[in-house]
Amino acid sequence: MTPEMKGFLLVSVIKMLVVFTVIMVGVALLTLMERKVSAWMQNRRGPNRVGPAGLLQPAADGLKNILKEETFPALANRWLFLLAPAMSFIPALLLSAVIPFGAPLPLDFDFTLGPLGQFVHQGPMPLVVADLPIGFLFVLAISSMGVYGIALAGWSSNSKYSLLGGLRASAQMVSYEVPLALSLIPVLLLAGNVNFSAIVQGQQAGLWYVLPLFLSFFIFLISGLAETNRVPFDLPEAEAELIAGYHTEYSAMKFSFFFIAEYANVVTVCAMVTTLFFGGWDIPFTRWDESGGVLQTLATAASFFVKVMFWIFFVMWIRWTLPRFRYDQLMALGWKVLLPLALAYIMVICVAIYVLDRFTGLTDPITQSLGLFGLNVVIAVLVFGLLDRGVFVRGSARQRRALEATARRPQVVT
Amino acid sequence: MTAQEIVFLLLGVVTVGSAVLVVTTRRLVHAALWLVVSFGALAGSYLVLTAEFVAWAQVLIYVGAVVVLLLFGVMLTEAPIGRSDALDSGNRWAALAIATATAGVLVTVVVRGFKDAYLPPRPGGGTAGVIGSSVFRGWVLPLEVLSLLLLATLVGAIVLSRTDVVREPSDDHDDHDDHGDPADHGDHDGQGRGDA
Amino acid sequence: MNSVSVLAAPEIHAPPVEFSQLAPMLIVFGAAIVGVLAEAFVARPARYAVQFPLALVGLAAAFCWTLWLGFSEKPQHAAADGAVAVDGPTLFIQGTILVLAMLSLLLIAERAQDAFTAQAAALPGSEAEQESMADGGIQTEIFPLTLFAVGGMMLFPAANDLLTMFVGLEVMSLPLYLLCGLARRRRLLSQEAAVKYFLLGAFSSAFFLYGTALLYGYAGSVRLSAISAALSRSGGSETLLLAGVALLSVGLLFKIGAVPFHPWKPDVYQGAPTPITALMASCTVVAAVGAALRVFYVAFETLRWDWRPMMWGVAILTMMVGAIVAITQTDIKRMLAYSSIAHGGFLLTGIVATSESGLSATLFYLAAYGFTTVGAFAIVTMVRDTTGEAGHLGRWAGLGRRSPVIAGIFAFFLLAFAGIPLTSGFTGKFAVFQAAADGGAVPLVIVGVLSSAIAAFFYVRVIVVMFFSEPEPDAPSVVTTATTATAVALGLTATVVLGVLPQPMLDLAGQAATQLFVR
Repeated sequence: MTPEMKGFLLVSVIKMLVVFTVIMVGVALLTLMERKVSAWMQNRRGPNRVGPAGLLQPAADGLKNILKEETFPALANRWLFLLAPAMSFIPALLLSAVIPFGAPLPLDFDFTLGPLGQFVHQGPMPLVVADLPIGFLFVLAISSMGVYGIALAGWSSNSKYSLLGGLRASAQMVSYEVPLALSLIPVLLLAGNVNFSAIVQGQQAGLWYVLPLFLSFFIFLISGLAETNRVPFDLPEAEAELIAGYHTEYSAMKFSFFFIAEYANVVTVCAMVTTLFFGGWDIPFTRWDESGGVLQTLATAASFFVKVMFWIFFVMWIRWTLPRFRYDQLMALGWKVLLPLALAYIMVICVAIYVLDRFTGLTDPITQSLGLFGLNVVIAVLVFGLLDRGVFVRGSARQRRALEATARRPQVVT
Repeated sequence: MTAQEIVFLLLGVVTVGSAVLVVTTRRLVHAALWLVVSFGALAGSYLVLTAEFVAWAQVLIYVGAVVVLLLFGVMLTEAPIGRSDALDSGNRWAALAIATATAGVLVTVVVRGFKDAYLPPRPGGGTAGVIGSSVFRGWVLPLEVLSLLLLATLVGAIVLSRTDVVREPSDDHDDHDDHGDPADHGDHDGQGRGDA
Repeated sequence: MNSVSVLAAPEIHAPPVEFSQLAPMLIVFGAAIVGVLAEAFVARPARYAVQFPLALVGLAAAFCWTLWLGFSEKPQHAAADGAVAVDGPTLFIQGTILVLAMLSLLLIAERAQDAFTAQAAALPGSEAEQESMADGGIQTEIFPLTLFAVGGMMLFPAANDLLTMFVGLEVMSLPLYLLCGLARRRRLLSQEAAVKYFLLGAFSSAFFLYGTALLYGYAGSVRLSAISAALSRSGGSETLLLAGVALLSVGLLFKIGAVPFHPWKPDVYQGAPTPITALMASCTVVAAVGAALRVFYVAFETLRWDWRPMMWGVAILTMMVGAIVAITQTDIKRMLAYSSIAHGGFLLTGIVATSESGLSATLFYLAAYGFTTVGAFAIVTMVRDTTGEAGHLGRWAGLGRRSPVIAGIFAFFLLAFAGIPLTSGFTGKFAVFQAAADGGAVPLVIVGVLSSAIAAFFYVRVIVVMFFSEPEPDAPSVVTTATTATAVALGLTATVVLGVLPQPMLDLAGQAATQLFVR
């Protein structure tokens, strides 16, 4: 093995450890944050007994979960029952491997470490565990595997509530994967690349993609929420009808694994939103962050962190504000609204990019982005204002009207 | 033997082994899961051969979609936790003979056909860029026709599954709406069936 | 990287696409897509009135364009970056497919007695089925699906590489699998036919694909001309080549319905709605034989000493089995299916000839047989009793006395199948056998003549039943409607004209064949 390769391995292992630790600790703290945020929204204090201002609450919870009794339903499929929590957790972690979380760090070292030999690293080190050239496909492939954990948890528990929850989850995740993937395509078109670092660079040069691709962002955010089974799309675990759905039969640490997985998924989705639509680690209104250097790296990493935290807060905000969808509404939203919208949007953006490139002579990325932004405003007004007649903004007003119409119709007596 | 070849070999063993388990296991869901393992290992083999795009497409489509739908179907109909003896077929020896014979023929053909021909894998030979420029140049016509195939399949699936062909929903006044009217249709059909 | 200009990226240039040469296909596909849109946006009662003219106009426009291409330009090169070869045989075959598809479309569009189910999703025998039947609706999706299938049939024989050919094969087959399951009467039989066709068809596609892969291993390319070039260099591995040819042939012969890959044919022909059977018996056979012609004439011509013995065997088996088994059939559609198998054998003799005259004879035979078979199936849809089409041969007893015209026309079609002089069948068989004999396949010709004689026996038996036995009291009646009658009339005209005055069509086929295949 060459010294360069060893150096690369060393750096990669360190990056992995860092990302893993940050996510695991972060997830623990997020449970606290969720409770604090909910408390704040409901005008109460939240956990404040363990440690200063309740800071040690996650540790106490963890301890409690480890000490609880592990239960197995008598007729469960033991192996899959054990495997399912892990399987729901792994994809979320894998996804975090391809998200760049800071500007490349200039890193030169050359040292010899006893029997292991010489380690060499030169040049800027990208702050991402694996800078896959095929980034987006990896994300789609891995996120599509997330459904296994939940579906198998539902099946292997051998309980009807769990099975129903698992079925709901698989249907929901498969359905929302499609608009999720389609909403990524305009981003790829605009960036001209499928690699996440390149997408971030594209946003540094122009505007953040949330402006030129607002509808993509909109679809991605909704589908992302649905993919993570968060409110308002948490039907797989709806306690009122399914008694917590796929994790009804789980207890102790296996149960908390599902929670860890859910929060890890939230972190990943928020990091993706940040990377794809909010410039990733880019610090707005300055080119200073691109000049390279340790300080710049730290600043950009902080910027990334702040943005991700905002989106995590946003997700929690939604959870404690909106009620849950009905299941058929959920499916209808995915297949009949988001999917056609995403498809049509791809066409529009293709044409717009082509026209801007070929016929207007606006080659500057910022001007082009502004042009696309104008287009987006028009589309948003059309979609939300004109075409939507109470379908997805005003909830089920239409449905009520339709139901009333049915009620007025003479009933068929059978 | 290079490290690459060893990994490739191991992945091959996993692929074949799990494929055998798919057809021999007596638990329906396990069969589907072994299929996942088999597909995954196959994707791994593609990766070793530097065909990145194909590998992840394989994971996305087969692992992430096809088998999920399969599992979904199994769970919706019948998914016993234990063994189901119905999975045993009386024809298994005939099937075994045919499978062995087919495998024998194919392996012989490939082994005799390629003998010791060796093509070193090129790093970067299977990235999105290479695949894209090949697909959108020389293969653009077949690609576009394939999209028509998918369209035809979709139409066919709707023909086979739609149950509200005849009964007109009474309030169908906005069928021409660009983005459909999700709540109305989906729910209303359910209503109609409920009455009947 | 950091600009919006993805289209200006240097690596990908738009490939040359000769839209003018591809236009017939594009028109058919375009009409299909417009049809799908019509399904989405036109109110249900008005759909039939939109779909039928749309499909007919699309096919007619494509046919006109094909004619224009055939007579004005010298279409001598492969279009779309070499994916599609637009040459004489392609245009002849595409034109034939389009005309036959129009005739079949007339049958499909028949409204007076629907052949298609009102609601495919309703379980056979369920209340929902009765309701939908009573409602008088129709599944108008059949029109775009038919157009998709026809588009695939046009691409299949035109493909210049095996991968495009495979795509064409799938586009052609998939809608057909589905259409087979949509019969209005005897729905279980129809659905069984669809599933059978689907499973076996998928299996044969897999064979085709595996053969393609092995040939790619042999030649390093899937382009037919490149395979041919690799053959003349005679490098590479014989094993891969021969195994590839064998597997590819299985895929092609399945679609032609040659023995021993024929068992699907009687079941599917019987179960499918008769208009779809007509479409399959005419257009699909034309497309499959066209593709086989291209593969064996372009890619494997230099290898003919290797594949000819196999083809001999298959052709002999196909002719004999088709003719002999047909004798025992009592269902009219099954009998026609076995007759179609036997005709597949005659067509294979044309392929075995591997000469220009063989090519032109096969082309002529395809056109002649296609018209006759559409006409025959059209008559099958017309003879009906209370349960729908009168399928059993015994029910046809005495038809000649009750409706002599229809029975006479059907008898004429049967005579054309048998190859009696003054019908198109005779001319076609004569041309094919002559070419085969010139190519040194005299034993094959002898078997062909023998099996024609056997076939004539059961055709004549049907005629005897129709004219010389007493009709049953509840015998089926003949329901004549404008569209079906048009289809029958056109089929009859073509059969007569190609039998009495075959020269112009022979010239056309000969002219198409002189251009041979583009490489």
